[in-house]
Amino acid sequence: MLLKIIGSILIISASGFIGFLYSKDCSARPQQLREIQSMLQMLENEISFLSTPLSEAFERIYKSSNNSISAIFKSAHEYLIDNLNYNASEAWALAVRDNIKKTSLKEEDEEILVSFGKILGSSDVEGQIGNIRLTVNQLKMQEHKAEEIRKKNENMYRTLGVLGGIAIVILLL
Amino acid sequence: MTEDKPRDKKSTLEKEILRYFPQTIRDVLLKADPAVLSDIEEIRLRAGKPVTLLNSDGDWFVNKEGKLTCRKENAYIADPMEITRTLELMSEKSVYAYQDEVRNGFITLRGGHRVGIAGRVVLENGMVKNIKDISGLNIRISREVPGCSGDIIRYIIRNSSDIYNTLIISPPQCGKTTLLRDIARIISDGTDRYNFKGVKVGVVDERSEIAACFKGVPQNNVGIRTDVLDGCPKTVGMDMMLRSMSPRVIITDEIGNQGDRDAILRVVNAGVKIIATAHGYGISDLKTRREVLNLMEDKIFERYIVLSNAKGPGTLEEVVDGLTMRQLVAGRQRLTG
Repeated sequence: MLLKIIGSILIISASGFIGFLYSKDCSARPQQLREIQSMLQMLENEISFLSTPLSEAFERIYKSSNNSISAIFKSAHEYLIDNLNYNASEAWALAVRDNIKKTSLKEEDEEILVSFGKILGSSDVEGQIGNIRLTVNQLKMQEHKAEEIRKKNENMYRTLGVLGGIAIVILLL
Repeated sequence: MTEDKPRDKKSTLEKEILRYFPQTIRDVLLKADPAVLSDIEEIRLRAGKPVTLLNSDGDWFVNKEGKLTCRKENAYIADPMEITRTLELMSEKSVYAYQDEVRNGFITLRGGHRVGIAGRVVLENGMVKNIKDISGLNIRISREVPGCSGDIIRYIIRNSSDIYNTLIISPPQCGKTTLLRDIARIISDGTDRYNFKGVKVGVVDERSEIAACFKGVPQNNVGIRTDVLDGCPKTVGMDMMLRSMSPRVIITDEIGNQGDRDAILRVVNAGVKIIATAHGYGISDLKTRREVLNLMEDKIFERYIVLSNAKGPGTLEEVVDGLTMRQLVAGRQRLTG
């Protein structure tokens, strides 16, 4: 009997934990979308006010913050300086592809980021600023959507986790 | 006199210039004889034309084995894509950071090497906005020749802490900027040879060629008491220096544009000395240029130094006293480090 009780507790807590992980992932995505926006804001400042070249701007940005998004900027910086044969948009696209899996971002977010890279570095200051603002706006919309999804799913995943655990226990008993 | 070891020429070329070329062109140039590479003054890329190197013997094509020839056959032809790529790499893949420079038709690489750009110009309200369809690049290799001003510095020095207002006159490619840089270094550091104590020097480096600043720090040795205003238009820069940095000497390159005269008068009236350069083949040649002629008539400059490349870049033609117009030195001699 004792064994059964311990087993049931283990199952319920494990599935509850899985539910908790899923719900955490829901809140990570809007959080990371906010982080990218603020990093792009920094990039805008570097470009419009300081005219810093991209490799240097990326370096400053990733050094000033430490989160899963800064890895994208770090690897973009590395692609830009290591191999002279990548231009800015190729370097950015590669950096996004390499690192997106480590974040909670979805494919649609990835597409926005990759298309942001299309004219990265290849136009004048006004063009770059326009591109950054457009991307920030798109990311803001993604953030709102992600926020709604989070509200809906967060509780659902948690309860689902615990209830699922209980269901399994009942079935096994 | 403090002498710096000249930088290793070939590795400088490799580090500062060849790294911006696409792999294909870089490979060809690296096959060339290091002695040849260390001596070149210009590298020219033209769309669909052979890659051309210019040294003191004239211009040469580079063939696919990296040898210099004067025959067009078998020469390495630059592809338009390679040229576009080169400019992309030279602007550190960030066109916006160089847009003001591109508008003027050239960008300056780290190390002070000037790259001229030819292509189709994009206009906006009659002003150059950008250059697209790049068809030609001319990379002028800048060299530091420490000590090249050693022999003529005594004509510039008035006493142990003062100098004469000086104008260096020279055609392009004769070592004007190189000489100016070395003069800046000696005046700033001081020299025991003529018992000259160093004074505060302000360099207004509009094209980043004199000091070759990288992230604000001079890469070339322009002296210990030298402040550099990098990338600043000359007229504005001279006023800023005057107001903010209290220099004893202001040094600037290539005067002759509108407004330069007034700015220089303000410098001289403030009791600050000026050393400048001007494009020209001699003193009489300068008289056709109004801005400079006015300065000459006002007797602003007390020394004129005329250069040519009769015996290679940096040949001294004459030194003239600006007040009496008497020749202080005549006859050609090569200034070397």
